[in-house]
Amino acid sequence: MKKGQVNMMETVAVLFIFFILIIFGLFFYYSFQKGNIQKEREELLMARAMETTSYCLELPELYCSKGEAEAEGHCFEVNKLKHAQTTINGNHQYYFDIFSFAKITVHQIYPQKINYIVYDYQPSAWTRREPTYFIVTLKEETSNIFANQEFYGLGYLKVEVYS
Amino acid sequence: MKKGQMEIIGLVFIVLLITIGMLFYVKFSLNESESKKVYTRSGLATSTMSAVMKTTISEITCFGPYQIRGNDNYITIGKDLIEDCAKWHQSQESEYKCNNKHSCDYVEEIMTGFLKETLGVWNKNYQYTATLTDFNGKTTELIKISSQKGCPRTVDRDTSVPFPIRVEQTGFVENVIYICD
Repeated sequence: MKKGQVNMMETVAVLFIFFILIIFGLFFYYSFQKGNIQKEREELLMARAMETTSYCLELPELYCSKGEAEAEGHCFEVNKLKHAQTTINGNHQYYFDIFSFAKITVHQIYPQKINYIVYDYQPSAWTRREPTYFIVTLKEETSNIFANQEFYGLGYLKVEVYS
Repeated sequence: MKKGQMEIIGLVFIVLLITIGMLFYVKFSLNESESKKVYTRSGLATSTMSAVMKTTISEITCFGPYQIRGNDNYITIGKDLIEDCAKWHQSQESEYKCNNKHSCDYVEEIMTGFLKETLGVWNKNYQYTATLTDFNGKTTELIKISSQKGCPRTVDRDTSVPFPIRVEQTGFVENVIYICD
């Protein structure tokens, strides 16, 4: 093989490696960007999960109150929970603006196991569901001829958001 | 420098570049969002303590001073049972008794069930302690509940604010729960 041919082969080999490196670089960049977009979507979903949970914990339709403006922390009233779905279904658009696509349930674990569906609006198709949990106390007021009694059961709030 | 040496240095440089690229790729692809985990864990810890302390016991086999208090006819875990446990932890008997058990044992039993049914089901590890600090500064561990792995200092864990309960003529009980993944 002549010297010129050898030089040319060398140049072709160098160019080949150069293009391979560029293809590698592009592949990495693409994967990195794809991962970033995916991560951003997940972060948005998680932010929505946190926001929806915070809204729920401070929802006057659910939280415990004694006529004062300030709510009792981490507490839902059982009587309110029993009627929450009816109230929410009757004002669907208002609550959809707050919760969007989500499922909100309250599960009582003590003294009895009872589940309350507060809000349930799932999209027809979804790829990911993000659940968030918070333990709450569930206040039930009972009354007898002598006085009102407040019983605090235990349960948890489950907020699922979809993307 | 000879041509061969130059080529080897070039080759090493390319290999290094590819390795660094791969490391970056792995690092960023495995990086999970921490903000939600922290929010969930610390929020969960606070809500768990707040809710459990307020929970009232419906157990009909309980008896104690609450029965003569009048309207307030239920036993609260924090206000009644843990306080009673702090007062009577050195004795075999306690003022409050549920299922014929000492208040310390009953709180441990019922709280173990609560935590297993919630945090345990959600695959969270936890560690709860109720520690009594008397007026001389002496500390005594009254109750300790932990998941199988617990939450040692070495792992990434979050905690609630301490829930102190003042116990008359005894001291303070500090209730702390740690939650980790």
